[in-house]
Amino acid sequence: MAFLSKKKKQTVVEAPVKLSWKEVKKQKALLIWSAVIVIYGVIFYYLPLGGWVMAFQDYKPKDGLFHSAFIGLEKFQQLFSDATFLRVIRNTLAMGVINLAVTFVAAIAFAILLNEVRTKGGKKVVQTISYLPHFLSWIIVTGILHDMLSGTGIVNEILVNLNIIDQPINFFAHKQYFWPIVAFANVWKETGWNAIIYLAAITSIDPSLYEAASIDGAGRWAKIKNVTLPGIRPTIMILLLMNVGNVLNAGFEIQYLLGNGLVQSVSQTIDIYVLNWGISQGDFSLGTAAGIFKSVVSIILIVIANQIAKHNGDERLF
Amino acid sequence: MKKKCAAGMILAGVMAVSLLGGCSGESKNEDGVKEFTAFFAVPGSEINDDNEIQQIIAEKTGVRVKETWLTGQTASEAVGTLIAGGEYPDFIDGGDAAGQLYEAGAFVPLDEYLDDYPNIKNYYTEEEWDKLRQDDGHIYWINQFQNIKGEEKSTTHNDEAFWIQTRVLEWAGYPEVHTLDQYFDLLESYVEANPTMEDGTENIAYTILCEDWRYYCLENAPQFLDGYPNDGSVIVDPEELKIIDYNTTPTAKRYFEKLNDEYQKGIVDPESFTQTYDEYIAKLSTGRVLGMVDQWWNFAYSVNDSLKQQGLDEKGCSYVPLPITIDEGIRNQWHNSGGVLNVGSGLGISTSCDDVEGALQFIDDLLSQEIHDLRFWGVEGTDYEVGDDGLFYRTEEQRTQAADTAYKASHICTYSYFPQYNGTSDDGINAMKPEEQPGEFFDSLNSAVQRCFEAYGCETYVDMLGTNEAPGPWYPMYSYSNTMTTSTPGGVAWTKMGEIKHEYLPRVVMAPDFEEAWDEYMDVYEDCDPQAFLDEMQAELDRRIEEAAKYE
Repeated sequence: MAFLSKKKKQTVVEAPVKLSWKEVKKQKALLIWSAVIVIYGVIFYYLPLGGWVMAFQDYKPKDGLFHSAFIGLEKFQQLFSDATFLRVIRNTLAMGVINLAVTFVAAIAFAILLNEVRTKGGKKVVQTISYLPHFLSWIIVTGILHDMLSGTGIVNEILVNLNIIDQPINFFAHKQYFWPIVAFANVWKETGWNAIIYLAAITSIDPSLYEAASIDGAGRWAKIKNVTLPGIRPTIMILLLMNVGNVLNAGFEIQYLLGNGLVQSVSQTIDIYVLNWGISQGDFSLGTAAGIFKSVVSIILIVIANQIAKHNGDERLF
Repeated sequence: MKKKCAAGMILAGVMAVSLLGGCSGESKNEDGVKEFTAFFAVPGSEINDDNEIQQIIAEKTGVRVKETWLTGQTASEAVGTLIAGGEYPDFIDGGDAAGQLYEAGAFVPLDEYLDDYPNIKNYYTEEEWDKLRQDDGHIYWINQFQNIKGEEKSTTHNDEAFWIQTRVLEWAGYPEVHTLDQYFDLLESYVEANPTMEDGTENIAYTILCEDWRYYCLENAPQFLDGYPNDGSVIVDPEELKIIDYNTTPTAKRYFEKLNDEYQKGIVDPESFTQTYDEYIAKLSTGRVLGMVDQWWNFAYSVNDSLKQQGLDEKGCSYVPLPITIDEGIRNQWHNSGGVLNVGSGLGISTSCDDVEGALQFIDDLLSQEIHDLRFWGVEGTDYEVGDDGLFYRTEEQRTQAADTAYKASHICTYSYFPQYNGTSDDGINAMKPEEQPGEFFDSLNSAVQRCFEAYGCETYVDMLGTNEAPGPWYPMYSYSNTMTTSTPGGVAWTKMGEIKHEYLPRVVMAPDFEEAWDEYMDVYEDCDPQAFLDEMQAELDRRIEEAAKYE
């Protein structure tokens, strides 16, 4: 811990560059490229925000954005008086937090375990296999889950043959299984992929720290605890912050594809709600209002998390 | 560096242009054939680009239409996406979501054009055209189905029913099955005696499809059990002319209690409420499922072909409908004769189409007898033969060919969601479609179904149920509820009721304590304010009766 903080203080302070024509000319290529990115950002991230106006209108596609009547906050009132919306907020938050916690811990643990593997070949094989599921689309993953967990699927067969249960369980018919299934699917699909970034962070830890630790008599466990984990702490913090902002993006495809009538009260997320009301029912205003709500909450969450990180003196986003 | 930059700009430019190009609706080919696009918000299978009959029709009419169908989405999702994008294909059938397209102003009004196209004009009577008018007085879509020309020749029950495999009926010696209790008793005794199929696959006595909009397989049987026809979303009392909610009738409760009972006994497939449509079709295609409620068009085309290919149809795995009601002595109305005009959806032409006349001319051409025969019978000598008496027939080989998916994609082009006729051809002897040609129809059945029909003294699927006239000018009411959107309180209630029923009906069926589950369901159901929905349906019923009175 001590040597790490020392390292931090050593950052070199560069002299501020003066803004002059000469400098502009020198960095011409960079400036042009950044202008492209800025224009791209404006067109694709900021202009569409104009559509937020819809949330305050009784938007009709026939009349368009400019001729629909303004109705103030009526759509927000409708939103918050809808029991279904309150339920989808709960579902989204719950699944978001569960997914975040589980995939986060799983990825770090997996990266550290993988790092401890001695044979280089074995390590590579495991790593490759484990991140492959990331490239499968959700439709395939849900198809696999459906087959595995169906009444005649492999999971039920194993459980019945081991005499753990006597009747096959229909996993998708019971609400209590839905969140765990989603969390499991996320872990299975993303652990290997998420671990890559931690593995990279671990590789960049100065080997002399491990040597020093060995000389001090540290075993494997002590090295993980005192060198590896503190070494990747900045990475962990940054990723945690970014993921907190994503908590409300708890998913759309998996819930949409795995859900059914019986479990809809726990399976529907804000995104599905927006699809149902905004696209299917044609109430663009209500869908937009729900979308705005989601964005605002996400921003608040990320600011709070960032403040906490700042307060604790950890790495932060801004 | 500069060169690369310029190349990049050109590339970007080309992409932008090609995107714009992709948006324009129709174009002319080198061979002078005009290309239109069409989207139908129902599932369907695309045909090959070099389809032979499509090519013949293109030569005769100068038009080819590239058809696309719903895949993996609901109709309203697909249509909502189109509306959000604001660009439409030339032809659209919005299916259940036609009302949304109308509200978004996506359709070209057709009424002013109609007089120029005799085949289209004659397709409906003045009264029927008026029924198709929306509340702004214009006609935006033409319903394509159940339009009968000449004498009616219906043979297939294309609608909803309790279906059963012929092997079950044969095993029991073709008993009379009239009530729900008798139906399930028969299924129960059959699975008890025959738990597996010949190859050892376990039989499933009864399954229920419950996925998304297809949950009518679970949901709307109570209206039929009480002897009412398929108004779809409500019952209309033909005496009092009042709307009745079939969700809360005593019959509904008895029906769900029966299902609950059978679920506890293990007769109802435990995967019923979690299976997807594909899984359901796959299940039926194995021949394991003895019975279910469904619409013929929802399962028969794919399942029958696949049963035929495996030879399971001859082993009695094909389905026939049964005239089930809740008690003995109720006249069933599972089948309606006389053609049903569903004013709720149909083929429309979008505002993105820049040749409305050309599009209408094509529809007009498709209705001419020559092209109609090409669409549904195929090419003479290849797909059908003409007897000395002028009657069309198919050889066994041609029938097998017509059931082959690859052949269908490469050769047959029915333009199945464009306007079409049932009934009798202009020549006065042939049916408009092969499946309605009486001799052809019976010969094309497998022997198990033939034996079954003979045992019951029937010649067609329709005879199994008996037939009824449409109950009144308001029929069918689903054409109104399907167009409801959440812009009215009744529409909101209708949406909420759907949500609730999707969750609670399966729960009611699965519950260990039926009474408790039913009461809970009724409580939540009442919270949706179904009365708002029923009131709007009543208003529409009154309006339709009033409209019809003008023509008497």
